[in-house]
Amino acid sequence: MTRRWYLRVAALAVASFHLGLLPARTEQARAEQAHAEHDCEVPPEMMQVSVKLPHLAARLKAREPVNIVAIGGASTTGTAAGSPELAYPHRLQLALAKFFPDVPITVVNKGVPRQSTRQMVGRFATDVIPEDPILVVWETGISDAVRGIEVEDFTSGLQAGIDEIKNRGIDILLMDMQFSRSTATVIDFERYLTALHRVAELNEVYVFPRYEMMRYWSEQNMFNFDEVAAEERARLAARVYDCIGRKLAQAIRLAAQ
Amino acid sequence: MSDPSTSRDLRLDFFRGVALIFIFIDHIPENILSYFTLEALGFFDAAEVFIFISGFTAALVYGRRLVEKGALYATAQVLRRAWQLYVAHVFLFMIFIAEVSYTATTFKNPMYNEEMRVADFLDEPHIAVLQALLLQFQPTFLDILPLYILMLVIFPVVLFGMQRHPLLVLLPSAALYIVVQVLGLSVPAYPEGHVWYFNPLAWQFLFVTGALLGHARIRGRTSLPWPGVIFPAALVIFVAAFLIKLSWTIHGVWEAFPGLLLKQLWPINKSNLSPLRLVPFYALVVLVAMRVPPEARFLRSAGARPLVLCGQQSLEIFCLGIILSALGHFILTEYGSAVPLQLAVNVAGVAVMFLTARMIAWYKTVDRMPALRPGIRPAAASGRPSDGVAK
Repeated sequence: MTRRWYLRVAALAVASFHLGLLPARTEQARAEQAHAEHDCEVPPEMMQVSVKLPHLAARLKAREPVNIVAIGGASTTGTAAGSPELAYPHRLQLALAKFFPDVPITVVNKGVPRQSTRQMVGRFATDVIPEDPILVVWETGISDAVRGIEVEDFTSGLQAGIDEIKNRGIDILLMDMQFSRSTATVIDFERYLTALHRVAELNEVYVFPRYEMMRYWSEQNMFNFDEVAAEERARLAARVYDCIGRKLAQAIRLAAQ
Repeated sequence: MSDPSTSRDLRLDFFRGVALIFIFIDHIPENILSYFTLEALGFFDAAEVFIFISGFTAALVYGRRLVEKGALYATAQVLRRAWQLYVAHVFLFMIFIAEVSYTATTFKNPMYNEEMRVADFLDEPHIAVLQALLLQFQPTFLDILPLYILMLVIFPVVLFGMQRHPLLVLLPSAALYIVVQVLGLSVPAYPEGHVWYFNPLAWQFLFVTGALLGHARIRGRTSLPWPGVIFPAALVIFVAAFLIKLSWTIHGVWEAFPGLLLKQLWPINKSNLSPLRLVPFYALVVLVAMRVPPEARFLRSAGARPLVLCGQQSLEIFCLGIILSALGHFILTEYGSAVPLQLAVNVAGVAVMFLTARMIAWYKTVDRMPALRPGIRPAAASGRPSDGVAK
């Protein structure tokens, strides 16, 4: 109990510091509150999780500290939203803290923009393993599709990465690409999406369907970047990342039951 | 018309027309009709059909030129055709540039700024354009014409080799194909780290085998050897590959359905033309060659006519299909991808392709009509096999 009390005071202190220091943030806090109520809704079939995360589940059950590493590209870094606190890994940490209030959970952000799947696997030894994670969230595929890397290279890179994590007794889940209407016409994501989902399936790894969700939000006109002023766009990006973090937290809770 | 080596083989036109329609459909991502093309039902897709038939008809057309008018003339004709393809490729590249620069400059979503830099090449247009002219820069969907162009550029050598002895061509071609399969050689492209999506070192084998069969046809061979063995073997291979791929396609839509041998066989390498693609494709060629005679009635039916016409104007219709699939994809991403709209886009695209093929055929017919002698019917309809482009 003392631990929780301490954490809450710390969180409050950090929050009030931010609010006091930057007046712009108050506005954002209000926007976020309003946003929290509509709950980043997606159709229920997008939230079906049939794969389990056994190592994470054991940690949570034992109420031992949980380290999660989020490795990925620019959408993991979250530069578009303006600060690391607004990137999806941090939003995931906050959402998980709500679900598991008596377990200390940290999500470490290891995003590096514009890396292929192979390049990310090369980073596992220095960026992922030393953090001693029990779960790795691997967001990948965008750079491979943008750069038109051979699908076979992409799949073998995924396989190597999944093997490396699994062999160390660490749970892994994948996050697929971001969706955007306008880039969809010039980048061929379909082959890479199919390949990523199939590799995951063959290895019994859960894929967080970010592409489908973002497409759904786009079709529902939930986050329309075309109709807002340029300075509003970072705020909109922060809202999308927040939704991704929350939905991912829900999926992880389902997989760790 | 009874001599099989000179009458037009409508099967070539028909199946090339089918391949062109499939290429259009497959190039629209997440298109419901793509579940019914070769890509969904076999280990290979329309690209194999297109390249194989192109090799076959090249041997027919230019082999005859070689005999009639000599090596120099035949070479000049092949290179002229390669030049036409090159100009078409550069034209498609211009459209691609327009599409990408427009997307890049009107793009408002900061979430993609860093990673989705689709217009990276606009940072160094002087190099990108040069690389495109050298066929080294091959954006998505602009990768099959460079292969075809390269095949035609080397084709005179293939042609002269075949005249001497088919094995002079077959052995080096097969050896190169096997080396690529074993060592995984690829051809570098632009930007750095890219490779030719259709690896010419591997795909040349398909083009060359098509050409060798076309050459055999000119020499009067119209039937395959050992029909009693080759037919059942081809049938077994083709049906097995069909069932396996069908199970994968169903599995992709409905997960509970098992994907047969998925773990063992997937992914099948397209860039290097894996034998898993090549062998079932040859099986299909055998089945068609033995069960669909050139004089089959359906090839002359009204229903087959639009496809035959598309196959006869293959370069124009191929380019048109690439443009239409980009346009169709754009419509589906802008206005939602509901199934009725998908079907409408497919139907409209195929209709435009049919009508264009019809128009080009009509224009060529009129063009060939002798002036001042209206009453005489043109010979075009029963003319020689063309390699699909205006001469």
